[in-house]
Amino acid sequence: MLGEFEYLVITAAAGLADKAYGAAIREEIEATTRRKCSIGALYTTIDRLETKGLLTTWMGEATTQRGGRSKRMVKVTAKGVQAAKSFYDAVLRVSRGASWATERKGTVS
Amino acid sequence: MMSFGWSLVETTAQLLEGDRREAVLGDLLEAGESAWQALLGILSLVLRLNFAEWKSWRPWLAAFGVSLPASLLLMGVSLSVSQGAQRLISPGLDATALPLLFCQTLLLIGWAWSGGYVVGRVSQRTVWMSAVAACSPCLFCLARFHVLSLSRFCLLLFLPPAIWGVRQGLRRTRIRLSSMILFTLSLMLLMAASWNSGGQRWWTPRSLVLDATLIWPACYLVALAWRENHNKWQLGQEKATI
Repeated sequence: MLGEFEYLVITAAAGLADKAYGAAIREEIEATTRRKCSIGALYTTIDRLETKGLLTTWMGEATTQRGGRSKRMVKVTAKGVQAAKSFYDAVLRVSRGASWATERKGTVS
Repeated sequence: MMSFGWSLVETTAQLLEGDRREAVLGDLLEAGESAWQALLGILSLVLRLNFAEWKSWRPWLAAFGVSLPASLLLMGVSLSVSQGAQRLISPGLDATALPLLFCQTLLLIGWAWSGGYVVGRVSQRTVWMSAVAACSPCLFCLARFHVLSLSRFCLLLFLPPAIWGVRQGLRRTRIRLSSMILFTLSLMLLMAASWNSGGQRWWTPRSLVLDATLIWPACYLVALAWRENHNKWQLGQEKATI
C-alpha cells in the first residue's frame, strides 16, 4: 500500500497530466496541503515510485525561467493509478463513522 | 553573474548525478528559492539518497564483504611480495623464490582488480563508504608497521590495481564471460602454484577462508558476465519473436 506522501505525489502528478514535473508537483502539493514540501522528499519519493513501476520519468524541455535546465517530467502508470485508487478507497473505508467524515455528508460514501 | 551562494549550490549539486542535478537545479531556480534554501534542499536530497541506498544489501556487501576483508588480506600479500622482491635483489640471489614471487604478484593484481571492480559495480553511490572501509585497516597497519628494511608503503602495493578495478566497475566496463572464466581459472591455478611453491597447506580451515575471501569477487564477476550474456540472449529472442 502507498504511503501518505506517495499518494500526494501520484495524485498531484495525475492532476497536472502532461505538465507534471518536479517543481509543478511540489507547488501543487504545497498549495493543497499548505505544508512545505522539501525537494529531497519529493525526488526520493519519485525515485521510489518509479522503481515500483507506479511512475515513469524522462527529461523534458529546458526553459529560460529554469536557467536553461531541463525538467524531469513525470507520468503516472496504470499500476500507479490502481495503487492510488486502492489507497483512496482504504481512506474512505477507514473514515466511515469518524466525526470529521460524517460532518461532511455526501462527500464520503 | 552568478552569486557566491549559487556557485556553492552548483558545486554541492555535483554530488548528484547528471540528469538529476539538471532537474533539481532547474526546479530550485524556477521556485525562486534563495541560495541558502537551495543549498539545504540539495544537501537533504543527497543525504536521503545515501540513506535510501543503505536499505539495500549492495553497499553492505561492497564495504564489509569485499573492501574491508580484502584490503586487510591484500596488505599481507603486498608485504609478502615486497619481501620476496627484496630477497631477490639482495646479495646471494635465491632464484628458487622467483616463481613464487611471480605467482604472488599476478595474484595480487588479479585479486585487487576483481575486488575493486565488484566494489565499483555493486554499489556506485556508496563507493566512498567502501573506500573508508578499505582505508581503516590500511591506516591501522601503516601506523604499526615496523620492518626496518622496507618502506611502510609496500603494504599498499595492491592499491593501484584495486583503484583501476573500481574505476572500471564505476564505468560499468563490459566484461566478457569467456575472459572472466579464463581470468578466474588462471587465478585458481596461480593459487595452487603458489601453495605448491610456498609449501603451504591449502586445506586448513584458515587457508580456505582466506583464499575464499580473495577469490569470490572473481567468481562473482563470472556470474555477472553470465547473467549479462543471458539477458542479452533473451532480448535477442524477444526481438526475433516480435
